[in-house]
Amino acid sequence: MAFVNYLIHLAILIGMYSILTVALNFAVGFTGLLNLGHIGFFGIGAYASALLALQLGWPLWLSILAGGSVAMIAGILLALPTTRLKGDYLALATLGFAFIMGSVARNWTELTRGALGIPGIPKIVSDNTQFLIIVLIIAVITYIVFFMLSRSRFGKACQAIRDDELAAKMLGKNTFLHKISALGISAFFAGIAGALFSHYITFIDPSIFGLGDIILLFSMLIVGGLGSVKGSAIGTIVLFLIPEPLRFIGFPSSILGPMREIIFALILLLILIYRPRGLFGKVDLA
Amino acid sequence: MPSIALQLILNGLIAGAVYALVASGFSLIYSVTKFMHFAHGAVLAIAAYALFTLAVSAGINFYAAILLTLVFACIVGVLMDWAVYRPLRKRKASSAVLLIASIALMTLVNAIVLAVWGADVKTIPTINPVFDVLGARITLVQVIIIAVSAILLLALWFLMKRTKLGKAMRAVADNKDVAQTVGINPERIYTWTFIIGSLLAGVAGVLIGIEQNLYPQMGVSLVIKGFTGAVIGSLVSVPGSVLGSFILGLVENIGIWWLPSGYKDAIAFVLLFIFLLFRPTGLLGVKVREA
Repeated sequence: MAFVNYLIHLAILIGMYSILTVALNFAVGFTGLLNLGHIGFFGIGAYASALLALQLGWPLWLSILAGGSVAMIAGILLALPTTRLKGDYLALATLGFAFIMGSVARNWTELTRGALGIPGIPKIVSDNTQFLIIVLIIAVITYIVFFMLSRSRFGKACQAIRDDELAAKMLGKNTFLHKISALGISAFFAGIAGALFSHYITFIDPSIFGLGDIILLFSMLIVGGLGSVKGSAIGTIVLFLIPEPLRFIGFPSSILGPMREIIFALILLLILIYRPRGLFGKVDLA
Repeated sequence: MPSIALQLILNGLIAGAVYALVASGFSLIYSVTKFMHFAHGAVLAIAAYALFTLAVSAGINFYAAILLTLVFACIVGVLMDWAVYRPLRKRKASSAVLLIASIALMTLVNAIVLAVWGADVKTIPTINPVFDVLGARITLVQVIIIAVSAILLLALWFLMKRTKLGKAMRAVADNKDVAQTVGINPERIYTWTFIIGSLLAGVAGVLIGIEQNLYPQMGVSLVIKGFTGAVIGSLVSVPGSVLGSFILGLVENIGIWWLPSGYKDAIAFVLLFIFLLFRPTGLLGVKVREA
């Protein structure tokens, strides 16, 4: 029974992280915005939904939607000044955004309780099997949304901007508006994933904005392949399963955490060097 | 209260010197290789931990330990270049790919430090007398940090402007292909760049390790500060990055006159943001070449 519970836990995490990765792919893979601050949207969604549910007593479905919306607003506000930056500079500005959010979570103690974190976040359902079904439904909706988006006029224009921004502009596309919308939509789903996470783990603290998770996300994204919704979902499953056997070898938990990070970083480096397009990738990282 | 103002300025200069130690190596590597070597911070951190193991755990002579640590830092930096960056350069990977690879390298080394040395804070005990300057305090190690960063800056300037290696490095930085046609091997220059840059990271790791406590994430926060200093001054110029580092140190420390000290990091990021958005070439304003 313990093993079944463990499998359900793993499946829930995979479901939530696949939402996060598919959303990241829309910004990085489809629109060509090298966003290293995606984890910031995840954390914002987690904090917003947890606080709305705990402090204002909002019903959870509403607080989760609000978590996504707050993250979307943050995404649009981040996109407004930064999307005109190119490649590396955009990457750094977005990475800086994730760090600023971590700093705010640590220091705005009246709201976030700082490093103490927020305990006792209400669960959506007490039974994990039921929660797994909810997560999977939301994950499937997310895949469908992004799959349809990538086939839509809007998605095609985003891909055109990724391939050649000037050409897209000359064809009369408002590239600025497209990039802002793309980052906003991507942030919305990252915020939803964060909100689900906080209502599952029931505790969040500023470490949610950590650098290690950024590498985990990019490993999942690049292993799966840029520009492929299917790739992101499969990349998430692959990366979550690879380090799991370590659990049964019997390493102490103080070693287990670093070991997982070592494995994720090594996988990302090996993929970048030997198979830069991952499993299903359609484009290279610009 | 003038002594508090003086102390804040002094703290700003000390922090600036620390950031300058990090920023100079970072921007040296950036100016030659044209990508952001974030794992520079990891070289610094693992050097500080190596010094801890050699000098405190193994108890060998302190100066010998420092020398070994510096050699170790150079080896780690060159290995990073050979094992990761060189294969990526070979397949003409974009600078964005190299940037992500460098962040992966940084988390890799961080996790190794965490697994080997553990999460608890470590200190390297030294004799560190405190001086009084018009009512403000400064320690001997802090004086050494400021002096060393000044000496290193001069040495770097001499290297880049007066030596054959420095001229070759500038040639590769300017135009790799043209440098190659006049007989400079860019791969050899990259290796030298990583040796010198990582030596600087080693010096920073030794000095910061003695001056502050060691913790596994130290490399991350320091490379972000160093890099922010470099963006403020100019990413592609070592003097610019040093200037930017001192500005960052001063602004952070004088800023906590008004803001709670926990927001020190946030001040740095806000400065980083402002410069990335409005003056990405930095104060010294050299045009950044498209790689």
